[in-house]
Amino acid sequence: MIEYISHSTKETEAFAASLAPRLHAGDILACRGGMGMGKTAFARGLAQGLGLRDQVSSPTFALIQEYTDGNIPLYHFDMYRISGLEELYSTGFFDYLDGDGILYIEWSENIQDALPWDHLTLNIQRIDEDSRYITLEGGGRF
Amino acid sequence: MKLLAVDTSSITASCALLEDKKLLGEFFSNVKLTHSQTIMPMVESLLKQTRVSLEEIDAFAVTGGPGSFTGLRIGLAAVKGMAWALERPCITVSTLEALAYNLYGIDCVVAPVLDARCSQVYTALFRWEGERITRLEEDDAISLQNLKNRLKNVEKPVFLVGDGAEMCYNNLCQEIPHLRLPSPALIWLRSSALGAAALSYAADGITVSPAQLAPCYLRLPQAQRELLAKKNKGVKEK
Repeated sequence: MIEYISHSTKETEAFAASLAPRLHAGDILACRGGMGMGKTAFARGLAQGLGLRDQVSSPTFALIQEYTDGNIPLYHFDMYRISGLEELYSTGFFDYLDGDGILYIEWSENIQDALPWDHLTLNIQRIDEDSRYITLEGGGRF
Repeated sequence: MKLLAVDTSSITASCALLEDKKLLGEFFSNVKLTHSQTIMPMVESLLKQTRVSLEEIDAFAVTGGPGSFTGLRIGLAAVKGMAWALERPCITVSTLEALAYNLYGIDCVVAPVLDARCSQVYTALFRWEGERITRLEEDDAISLQNLKNRLKNVEKPVFLVGDGAEMCYNNLCQEIPHLRLPSPALIWLRSSALGAAALSYAADGITVSPAQLAPCYLRLPQAQRELLAKKNKGVKEK
């Protein structure tokens, strides 16, 4: 398990960017953590670390953002409003599995039973207003 | 009659050109590339290599579901676009029935299986006797456990085909020794087989207009699972 304490959004981004080289196509990062935890900041760091030139933003309304302007695509999901398998199917989520990119899933707790067994779990917990306790585990690598 | 068959319903993509029962050409790929980027160049290349122009196509065939959410829409949209412009009739075939046509002419029971994820499959059951196909089970989304119960009681052997065939075989072959996997030439969905199925529909006059083309999704057996871990969810609306 990897542990990190971030003291700012900037640090969360930098930490995510430093993890990026250790991720491969097909990896699934299931993110847990409530609102305002820096989940989208983490995604921005990942994209930057992967060398993607796309603009990163929260997929709250689009459900999925694709960042493809680089070598390994990053697929950014927000499952906040997904409440069943049928809804999940109609986002096209299953078509992204076993694919050519890395999946980063916010609110993954909403689709826990549909996550492949070998996913990675990213937990972001609040310590205080600016600080976060971040852990990454799973996949036999972390 | 020249028929162009297109399939992007599951993990593979293919297109085939048939003239009556003669297969003029086929293009198949199984490399997880995005179907929306590959299917039209495949069709274009197939027509070019067979020296047939799109205007010569008399009818179009496409898999109508079940299958991948985006995959089905890609195939149906591609065929709808071509058929609409040329004002040609279309034939939709169940993805599972098209898969069963891989074993056309071989006396056997065939269970097409598509991986619906979460230990579930889209499946049906057919029996081939000579050139006659009999449907034994309707298209359905069921759990692996239910598939096991279904196939245990079938006369042997049962051939598994489709993108879930290997997964099902690995999961069930211990308990169901009469399961069989066919050769790589027969295991994946082939548009040549889709075309053969479509021709038998066309012979019975079962065609639709391009406007009527629509995907046929199957409901997943969701009842037994609750995806929402409500306790983890914030009370406030976002």
